[in-house]
Amino acid sequence: MSKSDPLLKIEGLRLKFGQREVLRGVDLSVEKGEVVVLIGASGSGKTSLLRCINLLNMPSAGRITIGGEAIYDADPAGRDGNGVPAKTVNRIRSQTGMVFQQFNLFPHMTALENVMEGPVTVKGANVEATRKEALDLLAQMGLQEHVGKHPRQLSGGQQQRVAIARACAMHPQVMLFDEPTSALDPELVGEVMKAMVDLARTGMTMVIVTHELGFAFEIADRVIFLDLGTIAEDGPPKDVLLRPTHPRLKSFVGRFHETADLLRPFLEGG
Amino acid sequence: MFDISVIQQNWPLFWNGLLVTLFYSAISIAAGLVIGLIVGLIQLTGSRALSALGRVYVEIFRNIPLLVILLWIYYAFPIFAGLAVTKFWAGFAGLSLYAGAFYAEILRAGVQSIDKGQTDASTALGMTYGQRMRRVILPQAFRRMIPPLAGQSIIQIKNTTLMSMITVPDLLYQASYVSSFTYRPMEVYTMVGVMFLVLLVPLTFLSRKLETISERVK
Repeated sequence: MSKSDPLLKIEGLRLKFGQREVLRGVDLSVEKGEVVVLIGASGSGKTSLLRCINLLNMPSAGRITIGGEAIYDADPAGRDGNGVPAKTVNRIRSQTGMVFQQFNLFPHMTALENVMEGPVTVKGANVEATRKEALDLLAQMGLQEHVGKHPRQLSGGQQQRVAIARACAMHPQVMLFDEPTSALDPELVGEVMKAMVDLARTGMTMVIVTHELGFAFEIADRVIFLDLGTIAEDGPPKDVLLRPTHPRLKSFVGRFHETADLLRPFLEGG
Repeated sequence: MFDISVIQQNWPLFWNGLLVTLFYSAISIAAGLVIGLIVGLIQLTGSRALSALGRVYVEIFRNIPLLVILLWIYYAFPIFAGLAVTKFWAGFAGLSLYAGAFYAEILRAGVQSIDKGQTDASTALGMTYGQRMRRVILPQAFRRMIPPLAGQSIIQIKNTTLMSMITVPDLLYQASYVSSFTYRPMEVYTMVGVMFLVLLVPLTFLSRKLETISERVK
């Protein structure tokens, strides 16, 4: 991989669920260290796109490369299926971290065991070294008091921070977030957002699906609006969110706009 | 009136019958669990052919009465296959295959009851199918499967009495024999019922206990 190559490159990606085409040819490049937020109405394909990146959804056509290496490459003959061997897929998957809406922590393991599971089982990492690192990661998430607890003993916000630590423990090249705050009580949203902003500051490459447009505005280098399975708008947050051109994006960010208009006098100091 | 001496005089026959019942219970539960694990897992691999094969097995053995299975293996199968089948093999195979079908269903349902998000999360970490099963799915599924497995095993112990129809000398067979020469069916069959109660009530109690434990670790 040469220096100018993007870390994540998606070309001509298509995804079908039965007869319904959810993604209709998506092209997207994400540079190392970039934070990209995907927005769109429900059914626009944003979660499907995110789940295609680590092949939790198997695309029907196109090509996905991470760090210069293909994780998905449709058969050139146009048949469905992945030309990349399963072993390679699993290896590249382990270089992407994913955080889910419903946390999906392993309920039979403690917070610490959840974070250690990936490195120890998948990478065969040294248990003691992994334990030390996992404790550090949990401490960074402000969870040092909770390392020995099981998920059911933790609040939603704490669980989601354990999930972020679990993903980070694999030293991923890119982190994928699927509506990470949507299942949280309002008062717990802030702590998860803060953890994500902290992570972005460390230079982590992140792709985030969210409905929180204010959060998108704050964290994103780029905002992408998906509509009917294609990218309808792509640009810096201040363009996409404050000066949308696409009619459906205009109505989508309408509510956000009203808030932004109300706040503008304060934001612009007058 | 109830003459307990009938039981006392023929106690060795009852005792032998009980041992045979326990022996067949133990080996058919063990073999049934192995069959159930294999059949349950092949139904979960996602391969259509394997899954259909497992389905056919399960439906055959779940929907033919056990007594018919035993009689078929002992009397009909030897004619088809042209080889002799001993009482032991007929009883053991019939009971194990029958139990295996039910255990397979319990395993499949247990694994499928685990939230899809668990598969997503373990896959996203880069785990292989085997690692996902071993580390994430089965440990959770087994806890949920304990009560139905215990229940099915208790049914299995009771089902061993059907082997008396193919002349395996289990508890019921011995009782019929004692009854045939003492003409005291009242004492004899009451005794059989009591012996099963003494054997199974503690086991039922134990399975309830396991249920509350598995409830707690969920």
